[in-house]
Parts: sequence; structure tokens; C-alpha cells
Amino acid sequence: MERETSPRRHFIKSGMLAAASLAAGKTLSAQEQVDPEEAAVPQAGPIATPPAASNTKEGTVRDQYDGFSRFKPSRGNDPDSDYYLGKLVPGFRSTEEGPAPFVAPDLEKLPYVMKDGAKQFELVAQNVRREFLPGYEMDVWGYNGSMPGPTIEVTQGDRVRIIVHNELPEPTTVHWHGFELPVQQDGSMTLTQNPIMPGKSYVYEFDIHEAGTFFYHSHVAMQEAFGMVGWFIVHPKKVFDPPVDRDFGLIFQNFHIKANQTISNSWAMDWSWHTINGRSGPFTTPLVVKHGERVRIRLLDFSPMQHHPIHLHGHTFWLTGREGARTPKSAWIPRNTELVGVAQAAEFEFIANNPGDWMFHCHMVHHMMNHMVEQVGPRIREGANVDAYMTNLDQRPPVDMKHSEGFATPGYPQGMQGMQMSEKFMKAIWSRREVQGMRATWPKSVHGLMTLLRVLPDDLYQQVMETDDVPKGAIFEEIVQRFGTPGTYQKAPMMKMGH
Amino acid sequence: MDGNLFLKTLAQVATAICLLASSASGQELAPTAKQKIEQLLTEPNDIGLDTAAPGTRWDGLAIGQSNAAEVHTLNGMLELAARSNPTILQAQYQITGQLAKAQQAGLYPNPMIAYIAENIGVEGTAGEWQGAELEQRFVTAGKLQLSRDKYLQRAKVAEHLAVAQQFRVCNDVRIHYYQTLAAQQILDLQKELLKTAEDDLATTREMFNAGQANQVDLHRANSELRRQQLSVLQAENRIRREFLQLSSLVGMELAFLPLSGDLHAASDLIDYDTVAQRVLSQSPEILAAHSKLREDQITINRESVEWVPDVIVGGGVGRNFEANDTTGALSVRMELPIYDRNQGTYRQAQADYIRQQKEIRRTEMDLKMRLAMQYETYLSAAQHVLTYEEMILPQLKQAYATSLQSYKEDRLAWPHVLHSYRDYTLRRIEYTDQLLARRTSEVLINGFLLHGGLNPAPGAIPPGHLDATPNPR
Repeated sequence: MERETSPRRHFIKSGMLAAASLAAGKTLSAQEQVDPEEAAVPQAGPIATPPAASNTKEGTVRDQYDGFSRFKPSRGNDPDSDYYLGKLVPGFRSTEEGPAPFVAPDLEKLPYVMKDGAKQFELVAQNVRREFLPGYEMDVWGYNGSMPGPTIEVTQGDRVRIIVHNELPEPTTVHWHGFELPVQQDGSMTLTQNPIMPGKSYVYEFDIHEAGTFFYHSHVAMQEAFGMVGWFIVHPKKVFDPPVDRDFGLIFQNFHIKANQTISNSWAMDWSWHTINGRSGPFTTPLVVKHGERVRIRLLDFSPMQHHPIHLHGHTFWLTGREGARTPKSAWIPRNTELVGVAQAAEFEFIANNPGDWMFHCHMVHHMMNHMVEQVGPRIREGANVDAYMTNLDQRPPVDMKHSEGFATPGYPQGMQGMQMSEKFMKAIWSRREVQGMRATWPKSVHGLMTLLRVLPDDLYQQVMETDDVPKGAIFEEIVQRFGTPGTYQKAPMMKMGH
Repeated sequence: MDGNLFLKTLAQVATAICLLASSASGQELAPTAKQKIEQLLTEPNDIGLDTAAPGTRWDGLAIGQSNAAEVHTLNGMLELAARSNPTILQAQYQITGQLAKAQQAGLYPNPMIAYIAENIGVEGTAGEWQGAELEQRFVTAGKLQLSRDKYLQRAKVAEHLAVAQQFRVCNDVRIHYYQTLAAQQILDLQKELLKTAEDDLATTREMFNAGQANQVDLHRANSELRRQQLSVLQAENRIRREFLQLSSLVGMELAFLPLSGDLHAASDLIDYDTVAQRVLSQSPEILAAHSKLREDQITINRESVEWVPDVIVGGGVGRNFEANDTTGALSVRMELPIYDRNQGTYRQAQADYIRQQKEIRRTEMDLKMRLAMQYETYLSAAQHVLTYEEMILPQLKQAYATSLQSYKEDRLAWPHVLHSYRDYTLRRIEYTDQLLARRTSEVLINGFLLHGGLNPAPGAIPPGHLDATPNPR
């Protein structure tokens, strides 16, 4: 359904204001977590300012671009058109405002001070406890109390000085992945520098002429497998066109951590835990955007040895760049799934024209679950449960040798049975603002390398991000009401979900 | 392909399939039309213990356990054994025998009476002297009293040996009671392992159905279940053996009932030096040996006076038909110890005395050797029990609990849980064996290392001793 011009204008204005207030709120929030002594330190990246009512190109943003609609699923009239699949459809933000704030959910930004003409960062290599899932705190290694480490965010042309302190019990170096820097600054252990010994520091300093998606990581192999990585985002001096409203960063990682263990086996050849920015689904924080916005997602695969075919539901995105450089527009590729290899970063851009809660995940089936185990034993047997075994550890219940009916079908069971989420677990899952109003059962389907893209009309976005206590399912049901077929909608059973 | 050729080919294929099916039906493992392959492979031939060894199981176990209120107790068994064990009675008769000998040896010699007719027909008379004569041996040098003392001392030896025999029987009853008790516990644990083996098969079938196990795994799980069934049967057989042996020691035919008791209860750690001193000073074997030495001393005393001649006095009244007169007769006789002064037997008695001194020493050394061996068993078992109680079993139990919790949280596969429980139960069986070893050694050490409650009760005379005189003296 085409929108009328008048309500459309109203929508855009209110939406833009909301976006501005959100951005300001997020910035404030980020600053609140900075050490008070560093509060005066300018943060990397631009701070959002109230947007102008028009963009640089045409003085306004439009709903329709050559058959492509910003507000409903559509492809456009001509694959060769600049606007096919929203290819060059601008966001609401103008290029004059600078690049959109970079947001890596669940990760902090690394503050800096200006000193001797350089942005000076301090990075501390250390062991870290990271809560992969509520109640599952894992011992990994990272930087400044975080795994992945905090995001370094600069602008093309900056000179940076990064003082690395080694609080690990073994030597380390830091490699600035992808930068064309002087060889002494490359961080290749023993090849270009002596190791940073435990308790010692080392200063890296170089000029940055690149722009794009980079990252830093330890250049000790097992330390890499143990989580020592972080974003190094370089905003271009000249904002990429078309401008985006959202700029997200997601680091995909794998770990092998046995049951009842908190320490990853970095020597392992298989992987049982999967994290996005240090959290595993459903604890990953959804990417919440407004209907019609242009969105960029930067994605880094820093798994030790697993490639990830990344799939976004409900949208077709453009692959606009790899970590080396932004791809010329003529070489952009529209995709539903993009394979991202180990140590590769990829940039996806799309217009969020399809409201709803959408899966964004690695499509490797074994990566779409947490600590996968064979589904045999009491949990698939009728009348049996583990608690009966736990009541008396010296005697076990007898086993019923009869097959359940499921055994009439070879291959049963394929679904994961008996997934248990405690009330405390569910309370933590639901405690995030970003998940308000989703269906009550959503956590059952988001595991491992999975997160969500929520595309919300302006008013619903405001409800989710600026109000509290939105009932479970309310936002989703409203989207169904507006954009779906409410007559066929079945509510999720209201499970015991804590909250 | 024209139509006729197609039909012909189809018929050939159908025939081939029929032939294949008929040949396959003769094989035990081949699926028939009514048997799905997964059913055939996942269903074991039998899964119950009742079918494992039809007709070979001891049904006494089930009967006894049906009435749970009735149980055997250790004290009850000891009381029964005291009354009924034949060797205890034998030992008592050994004492009686020695007392009887003592009585016999101290009896005074009977007088002799004789009718004497001398020189019948002399001078045409009935005889020079015909009459009755009474003769009495007068024992000298206290020989009878010494002989009596000697056999009374032997009776004391027999008393010590009877005490030893009581220890043998009671120790054995205790040991076999604990062995039966341990067998009961091990049967329970083997049944736990059986349930786990059944679960392993069920799990393997589940994994087979999910493609996570194959025929090899199923065959293994089936055979493992059967092997565990045998272990249960073996545990049942062991209870029967232990209980029958216990009944034999008690000396009565007993109906099988569960045994009450606790293998865990035990005294404080036994100190070797203390127990060695106790055994060497108080063991009935040592006491018997010392008594025997005293008896050998009496024997020397007895043999030392053997040469002292007895005096035999005789006298009577008769008729001298030649003199036609009534006359009397008197005789006094005694042996002249010119050649035989009993010097050989005396030396033999002295040799016996010295031999018995060595016998005491030998007994001490033998006890030391047996104690050393038994204490080693005891100490090892006590160390095992202590470590199993303090560390191994709690750790394995915790491992099982943690694996269960991990399974509940979907972080561990069920076969790992089964492995944990199997591990825990196998160690519990080992622990039971060590408890039994500790209790057995404890009984033997506290019971002067005596066992063999159905061996004949030994007599007061050690092997090799020469009882030189057939008549007791």
C-alpha cells in the first residue's frame, strides 16, 4: 500500500527526531560508562546531531526509487538501476552529518586522549570473564576487561598511538589487521618486533590513510583462538554515499568449552560455543532499526577455523565491501547469504523495508545451537526425567526398554529435546530493552551464532527503545496487525519466561 | 525399448528379487518383508535377566527375600555354631579324653591273688605246698601322682586347644557372615550395573535410530548386556556359595534369609606392635605350647623316677601236705635296676622337652609370619577403605551428579552419564571388596589368626610326639 505524502512527511519527521534522541541517548549511555576522569575525552566517531529535513542529493528522501519502496518489500524495476534492491537509496541521515555512529552491541568503545598530535589509546591484554549466556561465565582472554576487546574508532587521516600493556603471564604482540603501516608497527611477533613480555608495555604509532573495517588481534595463534580481538573502525574523511542511518559491528567467534568448564580448549579441533560480540544466542542483543532506514552491518569472522555463511531473513542486502577496502558500487553483489571466511570482515547494506523480527545468523546448522549434544537418554523417553536420577545417586531408576512411538520414524529425534531455561536465565534474556514486545517464545529459536534484526515503525521503535514494560508479543502483534494477516495469527503460548 | 522387451525385463527383475528374498530368508539376520531393518537391528533377542539362563538360577534367593522382616544376625549365627559346630564338640572331647587318661594313669595297681600248688605228687602227697597267696605292688617314688599330673597337664593343653578351636569356628563364622553380607551388597551393585547396561542398550538403540550408532555398536551393547547379566548371575551364585559355607560352619541346614549387618563398622586402626604383643602372649596356640612344655617337664620328672623299683609284696596261707602242716608264705620282690634304669625314655623325655621349647619358638615365629601377612592385607584394605570413603567414592559420586546436571542442562550426552555411573558403581564394588578384606583381616588379627572352623580339632600331642608307653603313665 502506498503511503500518502502528508502522513509520510509526519512519519519521517517524527522518526528522525526519535532517531536523534536515540542516538543522543546511546551516546550519553556510552559516556556514562567512561571513567569520570576521562569524561572530557572526546569519543571517536561523530555524535549525532538533529538531522536536517533533507539530504544532500535531492533535498529530501523519498519513499519510492524507480520501483523500489523504502517501506515495503520490493526489488525495483531494473536490475541495472542505481536503486535496484535499494542499492543507492539513501538513509534519512545526510552525509553532512558525518558517518552514522558505529554500534557494536554488548561492546564498549576504547577512549583516547589527544597527545602530541595523535589519538592515544591504551590497550591492556589480560584474561577476562565473559558471560556467554546468563549464568555461563567463561574464562577467555581479551583486552581491557572485555572479550572481544573494546572498539577503537578513528577517522581516516588520524595518527594513532596505542600503548599496549601486557598483563598476561606470557608474551604477546598486537597486530593491526589490514593496515598498510610501517613494518615496525605491524605487530608480528619476533618477525618485526620483540615480544611484549608479561608486565611490560609497548607503544605502536602510525598514520592511518585507509578507511574501512579493520580489527586488531594478538599475533599469538592460541591467544587469537582464546578471544583476543577487537574492532578497529576507520571512518572515511568523506562519508560514503549513500549515507547509512545505522552502522553495526558483529564479531563472530567459536570456542570449545566442555561441560562444567569455563576455560576454552584453544587446541580443540571442534567448537561447542558460538558467540557474537562475546555473547551466544539468545543473549545476543538484537539490532533494532526503524522502518525505512538504511542499515550497514559490518561482520567479522574471528573463529579459529570455521567459516560462516551469514543469512539475513526478510531482506536482500548488498555486499558493499570487504575488510580491505570499500568495493566500487559496480561490483556490489545482492545477497541473502554471504560466506564470511576466517579473519574476513564483510559489510552488508540494505534498506530496512520489511517490518518484523528477523533472524540474522550463521547458516551452519551446528552453529545455530549452543553446546550441541546427542539427544538420547531420559529426555526422549516417555515417563523418564533426569530429576528421578538425581534424587538418589546411589541407585538409578530402571530403564524402560520399550521404544516410544517416535521410533516408527527412522532418524527420530532430530529436534533438540528438553532444552531447559531457568527463570533466572529467562529474566536475564528478557532484561534487555531491545527484546521488549517480542513473542514470548522467541528465545527458544535463537541459539549460538544467531541474533535478530528488528525493523520497527517509528512509534513502535519508540515504545521499545524509550518506554518500559512493553508486554510480551505486543510489538510483534502490532506489526502483524499493520503489515501481516492478523486473521491467521496465533499467539505464542505465554510460557514461564521470568521477566 | 519396445513394450514386450520392457515387460520381459520387468519379469526378470521381479524373479531376481524373489530369488534374492528367498535366499535371504534363510539367514538369521536378514530382514524379511515384515521386518524393518531398523527393528531387526535394534531389538535384541532377549533383554530380561529371567531369560538369560533359564533353569540355572537359584530360587532360594527370591524366597528368602520375599519375607523382608526375617533376617539372620551374626550373634544368632555364632550361638548356633557354638552349639552345632562338630569341631567344637570334638575339642571338648579332647579334654575329656585327657582327663580320662589322667584318671587312669593315677589308679593304684590292683592286688594279685593266686592259688599255688607246688611239688604235686611228692612222696605221694597232694603237694609240698598248696595255698592261696595275695600279692600287692607298692608303687614308689610318686609315679602314679606324676602320671596323673602329666595327663592333667595334657588336659590343660587340650583346653587351650579347645579355645583355639572356638576361635577358629567363630572367626570363620564371622568371616563367612561378612562374605555373605558383601555378596549381598555386590549383587545389589551388579543389578545397578545391569540397569546401566540395559540403559546402554536402550541408548545405543536410540542413537542407532538417530544415525549416531551402527550395527557394530548394537552388537557390542547387546553382548555387553548379556555379559552383565552373567555378572548378576555370578553374584547370585556367590551368595549361595557363601551362605551354604556359612551354614556348614554353623553346623545346621539354614533357610536362606537376608543377612543384617554393616560391613562399614570397624574398630580404630589396629596398631601392629600392640597386636603382635597380644598375639604372642595370649594366643591359645602359644598358651597350649607353653602348657605342653609344662607337661613335658612333668614327663621328665615322671620318667626320672621310673627306674625306682616298685616293691611287690606277696603273702598267703597254705597246707604243706608233705609235712602235713599249715604254713604261710611271704615274698617281697623288687626289680634290680642294673641294666634298665629307664635311661632311654628319660633321654627321650628330655629331648621332647627341648623339642617343645623349640615348638614354642616355632609357634611364635609362625604367628609372626601369619600376622605379618594378615596385617599387610589389613593395612592395605584399611588404606583402600579410607581413601575410597574420603576421596574416590565422593569424587565419583560428584562426577556422576555433575554429569547428570550437565545432561539436564544439555551440555553432556547421556552415554557420558552412563559411563560416570558405571565408573562409580564399579568402584563401589571394589570398595565392598576392600571392606570385606578389612573386616576379614580384622577378625583374624583380633581372633589370633585362627581359621579353619571345619578342620578336625587338634589333640594335645603335637605331631611327631612319641607316646612311648601304650599304657598311660
